[in-house]
Amino acid sequence: MFLPAGSQDEIGNRLNNRSRAYELFRKITFNRNYKQISTPVVEYANTFTNKHAGMDLRNMLKWFSKEGEIEVLRPDWTTAIARALVNQHPSQLKWSYQGSVFRSDKDGIESRQAGIEVVHTPTFLGESECLLTAVSYLKELQIDSYLIELGHTGIFDELTAPLQLDEIELEKLRIAMHDKRKDEVYQIASDNKEIAGQLTELVDAFGSFDIIEYYEKHWKDNDRLLEIIQHIKQLASLLKESGVEDVLVDLGRVKNLPYYCGTMFRGFLKDNGATCFSGGRYDKLYEQFNERISAVGLAFDVDVLSEKLDITDQYEKICILASEESHVYAETIRQSYSNCIVDIKYELVNSDEFDKVIQIVKDDNNYRVVEK
Amino acid sequence: MKPCIALTKGRLENQFIEFFQSLSYDVEPLINKGRKLRVETDEFQFVFAKGVDVTTYVEHGIADLGIVGEDILAEFQPDVYNLLPLPFGNCRMALATEKGKDWPARKRRIASKYPNITKEFFRKKGESVDIVKLEGSVELAPILGLADGIVDIVETGNTLKENGLVVKEEFFEFSARCIANRSSLKIKRDLLAPVIKSFQKGEVVR
Repeated sequence: MFLPAGSQDEIGNRLNNRSRAYELFRKITFNRNYKQISTPVVEYANTFTNKHAGMDLRNMLKWFSKEGEIEVLRPDWTTAIARALVNQHPSQLKWSYQGSVFRSDKDGIESRQAGIEVVHTPTFLGESECLLTAVSYLKELQIDSYLIELGHTGIFDELTAPLQLDEIELEKLRIAMHDKRKDEVYQIASDNKEIAGQLTELVDAFGSFDIIEYYEKHWKDNDRLLEIIQHIKQLASLLKESGVEDVLVDLGRVKNLPYYCGTMFRGFLKDNGATCFSGGRYDKLYEQFNERISAVGLAFDVDVLSEKLDITDQYEKICILASEESHVYAETIRQSYSNCIVDIKYELVNSDEFDKVIQIVKDDNNYRVVEK
Repeated sequence: MKPCIALTKGRLENQFIEFFQSLSYDVEPLINKGRKLRVETDEFQFVFAKGVDVTTYVEHGIADLGIVGEDILAEFQPDVYNLLPLPFGNCRMALATEKGKDWPARKRRIASKYPNITKEFFRKKGESVDIVKLEGSVELAPILGLADGIVDIVETGNTLKENGLVVKEEFFEFSARCIANRSSLKIKRDLLAPVIKSFQKGEVVR
Protein backbone atom coordinates (compact mmCIF):
# COMPACT_ATOMS: atom_id res chain seq x y z
CA MET A 1 0.00 0.00 0.00
CA PHE A 2 1.32 3.44 -0.86
CA LEU A 3 0.86 6.93 0.50
CA PRO A 4 0.02 10.06 -1.51
CA ALA A 5 2.93 12.48 -2.05
CA GLY A 6 3.46 14.65 0.99
CA SER A 7 1.79 12.24 3.46
CA GLN A 8 3.84 10.17 5.86
CA ASP A 9 3.70 7.75 8.76
CA GLU A 10 5.75 8.79 11.74
CA ILE A 11 7.31 6.89 14.62
CA GLY A 12 9.34 7.25 17.78
CA ASN A 13 11.49 10.24 18.53
CA ARG A 14 9.91 12.47 15.97
CA LEU A 15 6.55 12.10 17.67
CA ASN A 16 8.05 12.36 21.17
CA ASN A 17 9.75 15.59 20.20
CA ARG A 18 6.61 17.01 18.71
CA SER A 19 4.54 16.14 21.79
CA ARG A 20 7.22 17.76 23.92
CA ALA A 21 7.12 20.92 21.77
CA TYR A 22 3.32 21.04 22.13
CA GLU A 23 3.50 20.38 25.89
CA LEU A 24 5.99 23.17 26.47
CA PHE A 25 3.92 25.50 24.33
CA ARG A 26 0.85 24.73 26.42
CA LYS A 27 2.83 25.32 29.60
CA ILE A 28 4.30 28.64 28.44
CA THR A 29 1.01 30.03 27.11
CA PHE A 30 -1.03 28.80 30.10
CA ASN A 31 1.38 30.55 32.47
CA ARG A 32 1.11 33.74 30.39
CA ASN A 33 -2.71 33.77 30.74
CA TYR A 34 -3.65 32.54 27.24
CA LYS A 35 -6.90 30.66 26.78
CA GLN A 36 -6.88 27.72 24.37
CA ILE A 37 -9.07 27.75 21.29
CA SER A 38 -9.57 25.18 18.57
CA THR A 39 -11.43 25.40 15.29
CA PRO A 40 -12.60 22.52 13.08
CA VAL A 41 -10.33 20.99 10.47
CA VAL A 42 -13.06 21.30 7.80
CA GLU A 43 -14.31 24.80 6.92
CA TYR A 44 -15.94 26.59 4.01
CA ALA A 45 -13.37 27.80 1.48
CA ASN A 46 -14.92 31.24 1.53
CA THR A 47 -13.68 31.81 5.09
CA PHE A 48 -10.16 31.87 3.65
CA THR A 49 -10.69 33.12 0.10
CA ASN A 50 -12.92 36.16 0.72
CA LYS A 51 -11.40 39.54 -0.12
CA HIS A 52 -10.37 40.25 3.48
CA ALA A 53 -8.47 36.98 3.96
CA GLY A 54 -7.42 36.76 0.30
CA MET A 55 -5.84 33.30 0.33
CA ASP A 56 -5.36 31.32 -2.88
CA LEU A 57 -7.90 28.51 -3.35
CA ARG A 58 -5.48 26.65 -5.63
CA ASN A 59 -3.24 25.78 -2.67
CA MET A 60 -6.04 24.35 -0.53
CA LEU A 61 -7.21 20.76 -0.16
CA LYS A 62 -10.81 21.06 -1.22
CA TRP A 63 -13.96 19.31 -2.34
CA PHE A 64 -17.64 20.06 -2.93
CA SER A 65 -20.13 19.44 -0.13
CA LYS A 66 -23.47 17.79 -0.91
CA GLU A 67 -24.95 21.29 -1.13
CA GLY A 68 -22.36 22.33 -3.71
CA GLU A 69 -20.30 24.52 -1.38
CA ILE A 70 -16.51 24.28 -1.56
CA GLU A 71 -15.11 22.94 1.69
CA VAL A 72 -11.43 22.87 2.60
CA LEU A 73 -9.06 21.40 5.14
CA ARG A 74 -7.95 24.31 7.36
CA PRO A 75 -5.16 26.07 5.42
CA ASP A 76 -4.50 28.78 8.04
CA TRP A 77 -5.17 29.26 11.75
CA THR A 78 -5.37 33.03 12.04
CA THR A 79 -8.26 33.40 9.60
CA ALA A 80 -10.19 30.54 11.20
CA ILE A 81 -9.65 31.97 14.67
CA ALA A 82 -10.81 35.43 13.57
CA ARG A 83 -14.05 33.80 12.43
CA ALA A 84 -14.40 31.96 15.74
CA LEU A 85 -13.48 34.90 17.98
CA VAL A 86 -16.30 37.04 16.66
CA ASN A 87 -18.60 34.92 18.83
CA GLN A 88 -16.42 35.20 21.93
CA HIS A 89 -16.66 37.79 24.66
CA PRO A 90 -14.12 40.57 23.99
CA SER A 91 -12.86 40.47 27.57
CA GLN A 92 -10.63 37.51 26.73
CA LEU A 93 -7.58 39.09 25.07
CA LYS A 94 -5.10 36.26 24.63
CA TRP A 95 -5.72 33.03 22.75
CA SER A 96 -3.53 30.06 21.95
CA TYR A 97 -4.01 27.19 19.52
CA GLN A 98 -2.20 24.15 18.24
CA GLY A 99 -2.84 21.74 15.40
CA SER A 100 -2.30 21.11 11.74
CA VAL A 101 -2.75 23.22 8.65
CA PHE A 102 -3.05 21.70 5.18
CA ARG A 103 -1.65 23.26 2.03
CA SER A 104 -0.81 21.64 -1.28
CA ASP A 105 1.95 24.15 -2.12
CA LYS A 106 4.10 23.00 0.81
CA ASP A 107 6.54 20.09 0.80
CA GLY A 108 4.37 18.04 3.11
CA ILE A 109 0.63 18.55 2.77
CA GLU A 110 0.16 18.70 6.55
CA SER A 111 2.22 20.94 8.77
CA ARG A 112 1.87 21.42 12.48
CA GLN A 113 1.61 24.77 14.12
CA ALA A 114 1.22 26.24 17.58
CA GLY A 115 0.34 29.88 17.84
CA ILE A 116 -1.05 32.81 19.73
CA GLU A 117 -3.44 35.65 18.97
CA VAL A 118 -3.64 38.81 21.06
CA VAL A 119 -6.73 40.96 20.47
CA HIS A 120 -8.25 44.19 21.84
CA THR A 121 -4.82 45.15 23.18
CA PRO A 122 -2.80 48.36 22.68
CA THR A 123 -0.40 48.07 19.72
CA PHE A 124 2.95 47.94 21.49
CA LEU A 125 1.72 45.78 24.35
CA GLY A 126 0.20 43.21 21.96
CA GLU A 127 3.27 43.02 19.74
CA SER A 128 5.68 42.88 22.68
CA GLU A 129 3.63 40.10 24.25
CA CYS A 130 3.82 38.06 21.01
CA LEU A 131 7.55 38.55 20.60
CA LEU A 132 8.36 37.87 24.23
CA THR A 133 6.19 34.75 24.22
CA ALA A 134 8.27 33.60 21.24
CA VAL A 135 11.52 34.35 23.09
CA SER A 136 10.29 32.58 26.19
CA TYR A 137 9.11 29.51 24.24
CA LEU A 138 12.36 29.18 22.30
CA LYS A 139 14.28 29.44 25.57
CA GLU A 140 12.13 26.68 27.08
CA LEU A 141 12.91 24.53 24.03
CA GLN A 142 16.61 25.33 24.58
CA ILE A 143 16.89 26.79 21.09
CA ASP A 144 19.24 29.73 21.31
CA SER A 145 20.72 30.17 17.85
CA TYR A 146 18.02 32.14 16.10
CA LEU A 147 17.36 35.52 14.60
CA ILE A 148 14.20 37.62 14.82
CA GLU A 149 13.27 39.80 11.86
CA LEU A 150 10.97 42.81 12.08
CA GLY A 151 9.22 44.54 9.19
CA HIS A 152 6.22 46.80 8.61
CA THR A 153 3.62 46.85 5.83
CA GLY A 154 3.16 50.63 6.21
CA ILE A 155 6.52 51.47 4.61
CA PHE A 156 5.55 50.06 1.21
CA ASP A 157 2.06 51.57 1.49
CA GLU A 158 3.42 55.03 2.33
CA LEU A 159 6.10 55.07 -0.36
CA THR A 160 3.86 53.76 -3.15
CA ALA A 161 0.82 55.94 -2.38
CA PRO A 162 1.99 58.89 -4.55
CA LEU A 163 2.53 56.55 -7.53
CA GLN A 164 -1.25 56.05 -7.80
CA LEU A 165 -0.79 52.65 -9.42
CA ASP A 166 -3.83 50.56 -10.28
CA GLU A 167 -4.41 47.35 -8.35
CA ILE A 168 -2.63 45.12 -10.88
CA GLU A 169 0.49 47.29 -11.13
CA LEU A 170 0.62 47.68 -7.35
CA GLU A 171 0.49 43.90 -6.95
CA LYS A 172 3.30 43.53 -9.51
CA LEU A 173 5.34 46.02 -7.52
CA ARG A 174 4.61 44.17 -4.29
CA ILE A 175 5.77 40.89 -5.84
CA ALA A 176 8.94 42.55 -7.21
CA MET A 177 9.67 43.87 -3.70
CA HIS A 178 8.87 40.44 -2.22
CA ASP A 179 11.41 38.91 -4.62
CA LYS A 180 13.92 41.73 -3.98
CA ARG A 181 14.01 42.21 -7.71
CA LYS A 182 15.43 45.70 -7.93
CA ASP A 183 15.41 46.12 -11.71
CA GLU A 184 11.69 45.40 -11.90
CA VAL A 185 10.90 47.55 -8.85
CA TYR A 186 12.62 50.48 -10.54
CA GLN A 187 10.89 49.84 -13.84
CA ILE A 188 7.38 49.67 -12.37
CA ALA A 189 7.88 52.84 -10.31
CA SER A 190 9.92 54.65 -12.98
CA ASP A 191 7.30 57.35 -13.65
CA ASN A 192 8.45 58.87 -10.39
CA LYS A 193 12.24 58.61 -10.36
CA GLU A 194 12.55 59.75 -6.75
CA ILE A 195 10.18 57.09 -5.42
CA ALA A 196 11.66 54.47 -7.77
CA GLY A 197 15.06 55.27 -6.26
CA GLN A 198 13.73 55.07 -2.71
CA LEU A 199 12.02 51.73 -3.33
CA THR A 200 15.09 50.14 -4.93
CA GLU A 201 17.20 51.36 -2.02
CA LEU A 202 14.65 49.80 0.32
CA VAL A 203 15.23 46.37 -1.26
CA ASP A 204 18.65 46.34 0.44
CA ALA A 205 17.42 47.90 3.69
CA PHE A 206 17.86 44.83 5.85
CA GLY A 207 20.32 44.58 8.71
CA SER A 208 20.66 45.44 12.34
CA PHE A 209 20.37 48.65 14.37
CA ASP A 210 22.60 50.47 11.85
CA ILE A 211 19.76 50.25 9.31
CA ILE A 212 17.26 51.58 11.87
CA GLU A 213 19.50 54.52 12.73
CA TYR A 214 20.16 55.32 9.07
CA TYR A 215 16.45 55.35 8.18
CA GLU A 216 15.50 57.24 11.31
CA LYS A 217 17.59 60.12 9.98
CA HIS A 218 16.63 59.51 6.36
CA TRP A 219 12.89 59.66 7.07
CA LYS A 220 12.98 62.50 9.60
CA ASP A 221 10.74 64.70 7.41
CA ASN A 222 8.06 62.08 6.78
CA ASP A 223 5.90 61.75 9.89
CA ARG A 224 4.36 58.40 8.95
CA LEU A 225 7.66 56.71 8.04
CA LEU A 226 9.37 58.20 11.09
CA GLU A 227 6.59 56.85 13.28
CA ILE A 228 7.01 53.38 11.75
CA ILE A 229 10.79 53.28 12.07
CA GLN A 230 10.60 54.45 15.68
CA HIS A 231 8.01 51.77 16.41
CA ILE A 232 10.32 49.14 14.90
CA LYS A 233 13.21 50.56 16.91
CA GLN A 234 11.18 50.28 20.10
CA LEU A 235 10.39 46.60 19.39
CA ALA A 236 13.99 45.85 18.39
CA SER A 237 15.26 47.46 21.61
CA LEU A 238 12.76 45.43 23.63
CA LEU A 239 14.09 42.23 22.07
CA LYS A 240 17.69 43.26 22.62
CA GLU A 241 17.00 44.09 26.27
CA SER A 242 15.31 40.71 26.59
CA GLY A 243 18.52 38.99 25.54
CA VAL A 244 17.88 38.33 21.83
CA GLU A 245 21.33 38.67 20.31
CA ASP A 246 20.39 38.86 16.67
CA VAL A 247 17.57 41.25 15.80
CA LEU A 248 17.21 42.02 12.13
CA VAL A 249 15.02 44.56 10.40
CA ASP A 250 13.95 44.26 6.78
CA LEU A 251 12.36 47.56 5.84
CA GLY A 252 11.82 46.33 2.28
CA ARG A 253 9.73 43.37 3.38
CA VAL A 254 6.19 43.44 2.03
CA LYS A 255 3.24 41.45 3.28
CA ASN A 256 3.13 37.84 2.12
CA LEU A 257 -0.40 37.34 3.45
CA PRO A 258 -2.98 39.86 2.27
CA TYR A 259 -4.41 40.50 5.73
CA TYR A 260 -1.21 41.78 7.34
CA CYS A 261 -1.34 45.48 8.19
CA GLY A 262 1.45 46.83 10.35
CA THR A 263 4.30 45.09 12.11
CA MET A 264 5.43 41.73 10.70
CA PHE A 265 7.81 39.39 12.44
CA ARG A 266 9.60 36.17 11.70
CA GLY A 267 12.11 33.91 13.43
CA PHE A 268 14.88 32.07 11.57
CA LEU A 269 16.99 29.25 12.95
CA LYS A 270 20.57 30.21 12.21
CA ASP A 271 21.98 26.78 11.46
CA ASN A 272 19.57 25.67 8.73
CA GLY A 273 17.77 28.92 7.87
CA ALA A 274 14.34 27.42 8.58
CA THR A 275 11.55 29.81 9.56
CA CYS A 276 10.57 28.73 13.08
CA PHE A 277 7.79 31.29 13.57
CA SER A 278 6.07 34.05 11.67
CA GLY A 279 3.30 36.47 12.35
CA GLY A 280 2.25 40.07 12.56
CA ARG A 281 -0.59 42.52 12.89
CA TYR A 282 -3.83 41.83 11.08
CA ASP A 283 -6.48 44.24 12.36
CA LYS A 284 -7.91 44.36 8.83
CA LEU A 285 -8.96 40.73 8.96
CA TYR A 286 -11.71 41.71 11.40
CA GLU A 287 -13.16 44.32 9.05
CA GLN A 288 -15.11 41.51 7.36
CA PHE A 289 -17.09 41.22 10.60
CA ASN A 290 -17.54 45.01 10.79
CA GLU A 291 -15.22 45.13 13.74
CA ARG A 292 -12.39 47.58 14.24
CA ILE A 293 -10.08 45.92 16.68
CA SER A 294 -6.40 45.48 17.36
CA ALA A 295 -5.22 41.96 16.52
CA VAL A 296 -1.71 40.52 16.38
CA GLY A 297 -0.37 37.00 16.51
CA LEU A 298 2.23 34.52 15.47
CA ALA A 299 2.47 30.84 14.67
CA PHE A 300 5.36 28.52 15.41
CA ASP A 301 6.29 25.82 12.94
CA VAL A 302 6.20 22.85 15.31
CA ASP A 303 7.75 20.53 12.72
CA VAL A 304 10.79 22.80 12.41
CA LEU A 305 11.10 23.25 16.18
CA SER A 306 10.69 19.60 17.09
CA GLU A 307 13.47 18.64 14.71
CA LYS A 308 15.79 20.66 16.93
CA LEU A 309 14.82 18.72 20.06
CA ASP A 310 16.27 15.47 21.23
CA ILE A 311 14.41 14.60 24.36
CA THR A 312 14.98 10.86 24.63
CA ASP A 313 18.68 11.37 25.34
CA GLN A 314 17.78 13.38 28.41
CA TYR A 315 16.24 10.34 30.10
CA GLU A 316 18.07 7.46 31.67
CA LYS A 317 16.88 4.11 30.23
CA ILE A 318 16.48 1.34 32.74
CA CYS A 319 15.61 -2.31 32.22
CA ILE A 320 14.06 -4.31 35.04
CA LEU A 321 14.61 -8.01 34.48
CA ALA A 322 11.74 -9.87 36.09
CA SER A 323 9.69 -13.01 35.60
CA GLU A 324 6.02 -13.89 35.45
CA GLU A 325 6.04 -14.32 39.26
CA SER A 326 7.98 -11.14 40.03
CA HIS A 327 6.24 -8.88 37.50
CA VAL A 328 3.99 -7.22 40.10
CA TYR A 329 6.98 -6.53 42.33
CA ALA A 330 8.88 -5.13 39.32
CA GLU A 331 6.00 -2.76 38.68
CA THR A 332 6.38 -1.39 42.23
CA ILE A 333 10.12 -0.89 41.61
CA ARG A 334 9.27 1.14 38.51
CA GLN A 335 7.74 3.81 40.81
CA SER A 336 11.18 4.64 42.23
CA TYR A 337 12.43 5.74 38.81
CA SER A 338 9.88 8.42 38.04
CA ASN A 339 12.10 10.48 35.71
CA CYS A 340 13.49 7.56 33.71
CA ILE A 341 12.39 5.37 30.85
CA VAL A 342 11.74 2.02 32.53
CA ASP A 343 11.04 -1.20 30.65
CA ILE A 344 10.22 -4.52 32.27
CA LYS A 345 11.54 -7.58 30.45
CA TYR A 346 11.76 -11.29 31.23
CA GLU A 347 14.88 -11.75 29.14
CA LEU A 348 17.57 -9.27 28.12
CA VAL A 349 18.41 -9.49 24.42
CA ASN A 350 20.38 -6.29 23.89
CA SER A 351 21.89 -4.64 26.98
CA ASP A 352 23.35 -1.75 24.91
CA GLU A 353 19.85 -0.40 24.62
CA PHE A 354 19.81 0.53 28.34
CA ASP A 355 21.88 2.69 30.66
CA LYS A 356 21.18 0.43 33.60
CA VAL A 357 19.88 -3.12 34.01
CA ILE A 358 18.49 -4.34 37.31
CA GLN A 359 17.32 -7.84 38.09
CA ILE A 360 14.65 -9.01 40.50
CA VAL A 361 15.88 -12.03 42.43
CA LYS A 362 14.02 -14.14 44.98
CA ASP A 363 15.64 -15.04 48.31
CA ASP A 364 13.66 -16.91 50.95
CA ASN A 365 10.34 -15.93 49.43
CA ASN A 366 11.40 -12.25 49.36
CA TYR A 367 12.20 -10.26 46.28
CA ARG A 368 15.24 -8.02 46.09
CA VAL A 369 16.88 -5.93 43.40
CA VAL A 370 20.34 -6.62 42.02
CA GLU A 371 22.07 -4.17 39.70
CA LYS A 372 23.77 -5.89 36.79
CA MET B 1 31.66 29.06 6.16
CA LYS B 2 31.99 29.79 2.45
CA PRO B 3 28.98 30.93 0.42
CA CYS B 4 27.62 28.18 -1.82
CA ILE B 5 26.75 29.18 -5.39
CA ALA B 6 24.78 26.88 -7.71
CA LEU B 7 25.64 27.28 -11.38
CA THR B 8 23.63 26.23 -14.40
CA LYS B 9 25.73 23.74 -16.35
CA GLY B 10 26.64 24.33 -19.98
CA ARG B 11 26.66 27.65 -21.81
CA LEU B 12 25.65 29.76 -18.80
CA GLU B 13 28.40 28.15 -16.75
CA ASN B 14 31.08 29.23 -19.24
CA GLN B 15 29.66 32.73 -19.53
CA PHE B 16 29.49 33.00 -15.74
CA ILE B 17 33.11 31.92 -15.35
CA GLU B 18 34.18 34.59 -17.82
CA PHE B 19 32.08 37.18 -15.97
CA PHE B 20 33.39 36.02 -12.60
CA GLN B 21 36.96 36.29 -13.84
CA SER B 22 36.30 39.85 -15.00
CA LEU B 23 35.39 40.65 -11.37
CA SER B 24 38.90 39.44 -10.34
CA TYR B 25 37.74 36.27 -8.59
CA ASP B 26 39.82 33.10 -8.76
CA VAL B 27 38.24 30.87 -11.43
CA GLU B 28 41.07 28.38 -11.96
CA PRO B 29 39.36 25.52 -10.02
CA LEU B 30 36.17 26.12 -12.02
CA ILE B 31 37.92 25.90 -15.36
CA ASN B 32 39.81 22.74 -14.41
CA LYS B 33 36.96 20.97 -12.66
CA GLY B 34 36.78 18.01 -15.07
CA ARG B 35 33.58 16.07 -14.40
CA LYS B 36 33.26 17.17 -10.81
CA LEU B 37 29.87 18.57 -9.83
CA ARG B 38 31.18 20.27 -6.68
CA VAL B 39 34.16 22.57 -6.67
CA GLU B 40 35.66 24.64 -3.90
CA THR B 41 37.70 27.78 -4.41
CA ASP B 42 39.42 29.82 -1.69
CA GLU B 43 36.31 31.91 -1.23
CA PHE B 44 33.32 29.87 -2.47
CA GLN B 45 31.74 26.48 -2.90
CA PHE B 46 30.22 25.85 -6.31
CA VAL B 47 27.73 23.19 -7.35
CA PHE B 48 26.79 22.50 -10.96
CA ALA B 49 23.27 21.49 -11.95
CA LYS B 50 20.57 21.85 -14.60
CA GLY B 51 18.84 25.24 -14.52
CA VAL B 52 15.67 24.09 -12.81
CA ASP B 53 17.68 22.12 -10.26
CA VAL B 54 19.71 25.25 -9.48
CA THR B 55 16.46 26.90 -8.35
CA THR B 56 15.59 23.83 -6.25
CA TYR B 57 18.97 23.84 -4.48
CA VAL B 58 18.65 27.55 -3.77
CA GLU B 59 15.01 27.31 -2.66
CA HIS B 60 15.93 24.58 -0.15
CA GLY B 61 18.93 26.53 1.14
CA ILE B 62 21.53 24.00 -0.01
CA ALA B 63 22.99 26.77 -2.15
CA ASP B 64 22.90 30.39 -0.97
CA LEU B 65 23.03 31.93 -4.43
CA GLY B 66 22.23 30.61 -7.89
CA ILE B 67 22.96 31.61 -11.45
CA VAL B 68 20.09 30.70 -13.74
CA GLY B 69 18.32 31.85 -16.90
CA GLU B 70 15.19 33.91 -16.38
CA ASP B 71 13.28 31.51 -18.63
CA ILE B 72 13.60 28.91 -15.86
CA LEU B 73 12.43 31.38 -13.21
CA ALA B 74 9.42 32.42 -15.29
CA GLU B 75 8.49 28.81 -16.01
CA PHE B 76 8.92 27.28 -12.55
CA GLN B 77 8.32 30.29 -10.26
CA PRO B 78 10.60 29.11 -7.42
CA ASP B 79 10.25 30.74 -3.99
CA VAL B 80 13.59 32.59 -4.00
CA TYR B 81 14.87 36.16 -4.10
CA ASN B 82 15.30 37.06 -7.76
CA LEU B 83 17.99 39.64 -7.15
CA LEU B 84 19.49 40.97 -10.36
CA PRO B 85 20.11 40.46 -14.05
CA LEU B 86 23.60 39.46 -15.13
CA PRO B 87 25.33 40.69 -18.28
CA PHE B 88 25.18 37.38 -20.15
CA GLY B 89 22.81 34.66 -21.28
CA ASN B 90 20.71 37.13 -23.26
CA CYS B 91 17.87 35.40 -25.12
CA ARG B 92 14.33 36.00 -26.32
CA MET B 93 11.26 33.82 -26.07
CA ALA B 94 9.53 33.47 -29.40
CA LEU B 95 6.54 31.91 -31.09
CA ALA B 96 7.69 30.25 -34.34
CA THR B 97 6.23 28.11 -37.06
CA GLU B 98 7.12 26.48 -40.34
CA LYS B 99 8.11 28.95 -43.05
CA GLY B 100 5.31 29.72 -45.51
CA LYS B 101 2.65 27.98 -43.46
CA ASP B 102 -0.51 29.76 -42.36
CA TRP B 103 -2.01 29.23 -38.95
CA PRO B 104 -4.92 26.76 -39.09
CA ALA B 105 -8.46 28.07 -38.57
CA ARG B 106 -8.99 25.67 -35.62
CA LYS B 107 -7.62 25.78 -32.06
CA ARG B 108 -3.84 25.80 -32.37
CA ARG B 109 -1.51 23.21 -30.95
CA ILE B 110 1.78 24.59 -29.60
CA ALA B 111 4.83 22.54 -28.62
CA SER B 112 7.18 23.87 -25.95
CA LYS B 113 9.59 23.07 -23.17
CA TYR B 114 7.89 25.93 -21.34
CA PRO B 115 4.18 25.08 -20.91
CA ASN B 116 3.60 27.71 -18.23
CA ILE B 117 5.21 30.55 -20.19
CA THR B 118 3.29 29.42 -23.28
CA LYS B 119 -0.01 29.24 -21.40
CA GLU B 120 0.53 32.72 -19.94
CA PHE B 121 1.50 34.18 -23.34
CA PHE B 122 -1.66 32.93 -25.05
CA ARG B 123 -3.82 33.75 -22.01
CA LYS B 124 -2.72 37.39 -22.31
CA LYS B 125 -3.62 37.29 -26.01
CA GLY B 126 -7.03 35.89 -25.11
CA GLU B 127 -6.52 32.71 -27.12
CA SER B 128 -7.07 29.10 -26.04
CA VAL B 129 -4.43 26.68 -27.31
CA ASP B 130 -3.45 23.09 -26.66
CA ILE B 131 0.10 22.76 -25.38
CA VAL B 132 2.33 19.75 -26.08
CA LYS B 133 5.16 19.53 -23.56
CA LEU B 134 8.48 18.46 -25.06
CA GLU B 135 11.85 18.10 -23.40
CA GLY B 136 14.08 19.22 -26.27
CA SER B 137 14.53 19.60 -30.08
CA VAL B 138 11.24 21.45 -30.06
CA GLU B 139 11.87 22.62 -33.65
CA LEU B 140 10.98 19.13 -34.85
CA ALA B 141 7.35 19.40 -33.72
CA PRO B 142 5.94 21.61 -36.53
CA ILE B 143 8.06 19.88 -39.18
CA LEU B 144 6.79 16.44 -38.23
CA GLY B 145 3.23 17.64 -37.76
CA LEU B 146 3.03 17.24 -33.99
CA ALA B 147 2.19 20.92 -33.49
CA ASP B 148 1.27 24.03 -35.45
CA GLY B 149 3.96 26.13 -33.81
CA ILE B 150 6.47 26.25 -31.00
CA VAL B 151 7.33 28.55 -28.14
CA ASP B 152 11.04 28.40 -27.42
CA ILE B 153 14.10 30.47 -26.60
CA VAL B 154 15.94 32.11 -29.47
CA GLU B 155 19.48 33.40 -29.17
CA THR B 156 20.75 33.88 -32.72
CA GLY B 157 17.85 32.34 -34.64
CA ASN B 158 20.16 29.95 -36.53
CA THR B 159 18.58 26.74 -35.21
CA LEU B 160 15.13 27.91 -36.28
CA LYS B 161 16.39 28.93 -39.71
CA GLU B 162 18.24 25.67 -40.35
CA ASN B 163 15.06 23.76 -39.54
CA GLY B 164 12.87 25.82 -41.81
CA LEU B 165 11.07 27.75 -39.07
CA VAL B 166 10.38 31.48 -38.81
CA VAL B 167 9.67 33.67 -35.80
CA LYS B 168 6.07 34.93 -35.75
CA GLU B 169 6.36 36.90 -32.55
CA GLU B 170 8.98 37.64 -29.93
CA PHE B 171 7.59 38.37 -26.49
CA PHE B 172 10.09 38.05 -23.65
CA GLU B 173 13.69 39.25 -23.55
CA PHE B 174 15.77 37.99 -20.70
CA SER B 175 19.24 37.24 -19.38
CA ALA B 176 20.87 35.12 -16.71
CA ARG B 177 19.97 36.21 -13.18
CA CYS B 178 21.38 35.90 -9.70
CA ILE B 179 18.93 34.36 -7.24
CA ALA B 180 19.27 33.91 -3.48
CA ASN B 181 17.78 31.73 -0.79
CA ARG B 182 15.32 33.75 1.29
CA SER B 183 16.87 32.88 4.66
CA SER B 184 20.52 32.80 3.60
CA LEU B 185 20.37 36.37 2.32
CA LYS B 186 19.45 37.50 5.83
CA ILE B 187 21.40 35.08 7.99
CA LYS B 188 24.59 35.15 5.93
CA ARG B 189 24.24 38.79 4.91
CA ASP B 190 27.81 39.68 5.81
CA LEU B 191 29.15 36.89 3.59
CA LEU B 192 26.78 37.36 0.66
CA ALA B 193 26.50 41.15 0.43
CA PRO B 194 30.03 41.69 -1.02
CA VAL B 195 29.47 39.03 -3.71
CA ILE B 196 26.10 40.45 -4.72
CA LYS B 197 27.56 43.94 -4.75
CA SER B 198 30.36 42.81 -7.06
CA PHE B 199 27.78 41.21 -9.40
CA GLN B 200 25.94 44.54 -9.44
CA LYS B 201 29.12 46.38 -10.32
CA GLY B 202 29.73 43.85 -13.08
CA GLU B 203 26.29 44.63 -14.35
CA VAL B 204 27.09 48.35 -14.50
CA VAL B 205 30.32 47.65 -16.42
CA ARG B 206 28.16 46.15 -19.13
